[in-house]
Amino acid sequence: MKNLFGQLSLNQKIAVVTLLLGLIAIFAGNPYQGNYTRIDAKEIALIVQKELDHITAEELADWIIKEKSDFRLIDLRSENEFSEYHIPKAENIQLIDLNNYTFLPTEKIILYSEGGIHSAQAWFLMIARGYKNVYMLKGGLDEWKEKILFPIISENATPDEIKNFERIKEVSRYFGGSPQTGKIEDIRVKKELPKLEMPAQGSPQTGTQKKKKKEGC
Amino acid sequence: MNHQESQINFQPKPYMNPYLAGIGLGLVLLLSFVIMGRGLGASGAFSSLLSAGMEKISPEHVKSNEFYLEYLGDGTTSPLKDWLVFEVIGVFAGGLLSGALAHRIKKDIEKGPRISNFGRLAFAFIGGAMMGFGAKLARGCTSGQALTGGALLNVGSWAFMLCVFAGAYAFAYFMRRQWR
Amino acid sequence: MNAPFFKYGYFGDDLSLVVAFIIGIGFGFFLERAGFGSAKKLTAQFYFTDMSVFKVMFSAIVTAMIGLYYLGVLGLLNLSLVYLTPTYLIPQIIGGLILGIGFVIGGYCPGTSCVAVSTGKIDALVFLIGVIGGIFVFGEVFPLLKVFYYSSNMGNLTLPQLFNIPYGLVVFLVVLMAIGGFMGAEYVEKKMKK
Repeated sequence: MKNLFGQLSLNQKIAVVTLLLGLIAIFAGNPYQGNYTRIDAKEIALIVQKELDHITAEELADWIIKEKSDFRLIDLRSENEFSEYHIPKAENIQLIDLNNYTFLPTEKIILYSEGGIHSAQAWFLMIARGYKNVYMLKGGLDEWKEKILFPIISENATPDEIKNFERIKEVSRYFGGSPQTGKIEDIRVKKELPKLEMPAQGSPQTGTQKKKKKEGC
Repeated sequence: MNHQESQINFQPKPYMNPYLAGIGLGLVLLLSFVIMGRGLGASGAFSSLLSAGMEKISPEHVKSNEFYLEYLGDGTTSPLKDWLVFEVIGVFAGGLLSGALAHRIKKDIEKGPRISNFGRLAFAFIGGAMMGFGAKLARGCTSGQALTGGALLNVGSWAFMLCVFAGAYAFAYFMRRQWR
Repeated sequence: MNAPFFKYGYFGDDLSLVVAFIIGIGFGFFLERAGFGSAKKLTAQFYFTDMSVFKVMFSAIVTAMIGLYYLGVLGLLNLSLVYLTPTYLIPQIIGGLILGIGFVIGGYCPGTSCVAVSTGKIDALVFLIGVIGGIFVFGEVFPLLKVFYYSSNMGNLTLPQLFNIPYGLVVFLVVLMAIGGFMGAEYVEKKMKK
């Protein structure tokens, strides 16, 4: 066999080796590893335990106001819900599509849904696919509304709380929200979601739209 | 004797075995995939060059044209500070290196015996313009589409590659006076 | 190993330009080695007298394809992070035909014309100016072509997905096709020499 191979010309040798590699390829499986993943259960439990898996609405609001662009905000809800209202700079990717979506390993990804359940499930899937830099918005859009868009301070708040509320008010107005003062019972007053054009000051085009030049020829 | 020897030494060396050259090329391409996550290209660099030039000449005109804007990016960095631009500078350098080592550098106009220099240059310009136009329409040229996309088993690239060969073979008859 | 290194953030944009230059040197070097700095050698492909274009191109494609495949299977390279140009079938077919005709008229393609310029070919320099002219025309008429340019969008699509057969099988079929093609090319060359 070895002798036989030795007698071949260089071109023939190349052909034989290539053919062998091609033959093995039939049985060697899929080079895209997308759907099969390994997870380290202990590592994940540790992340959750240490609360390294989420960011709060206030933190997110702060980032958006400061026009930070080192993260991608993913809205997991349906298209209709997304077009009705979404947090500025968010992109709409539904849970089922998330699995086919490739992020850069270096990207920081913030997931949110209505409450917390969907984003937690999506978070787990992302971690399982090997993404390290993934976070949930704590409490989801519900908490975003409660804390940022429609913050309420009770009438008998302490001076400290009032001082703090002044700052929150500003943040809220930035996002087109309506901070209120009143009794806790009044929380359920009619809240109108801000128009999508808000905030007027920020430019919603930058960030998600500012894609890099294409990589093709 | 000595003189004759040096004469022999400066004869252009024969070209490399095409299969080995291809494997070398393939390994460079593979290296690009592994290091950068992208393949090779050529025509894109000239688009960047053109866009940068156009911006210098007529910034207003460029602003209204999506095509140029894409190559100019967001304006934070120069459009020439681009991966493909640097890669193509490397291609010039690599060609020079290989050509020099094999004594193949010579001022010349490549053509068959049945066509004038001017005719050849006119055809070179027309062919180049068709290449530039076609490469933009197809989103890549022989390097960016055929080689890179071919190795990735990209459907569009394979369709493109077949059409390049089909187009060239179909038109070769009309160009025989230029080459044969 | 986490490849592609750049996508995993192992180095930044500035260093990537150095990488670009070095990879370009390799690309240009092998193009010139193969004889692709010569328009006569390139166009000989279309008159069946020298099939180097086919041989070199397909050896390169097969080499890179096999390399990508095995690196992917072994988990050394995350193939989904490698940039895939989306398929827009009709513009790519028309573009390919125009480019093919341009190839046999002009004698080069954009990449090979660069190494031809490096080795002193005047026609290659004129060709390159033509390329820039062609891109200019495309840029100017782009608003009119835009609808066509974005037509028949098939997204990121690979042959295994299109035919719904295993990736490895496609790799094998391409290898088979290439080797068959090489044998045919050798035969044709011999025949034409007579």
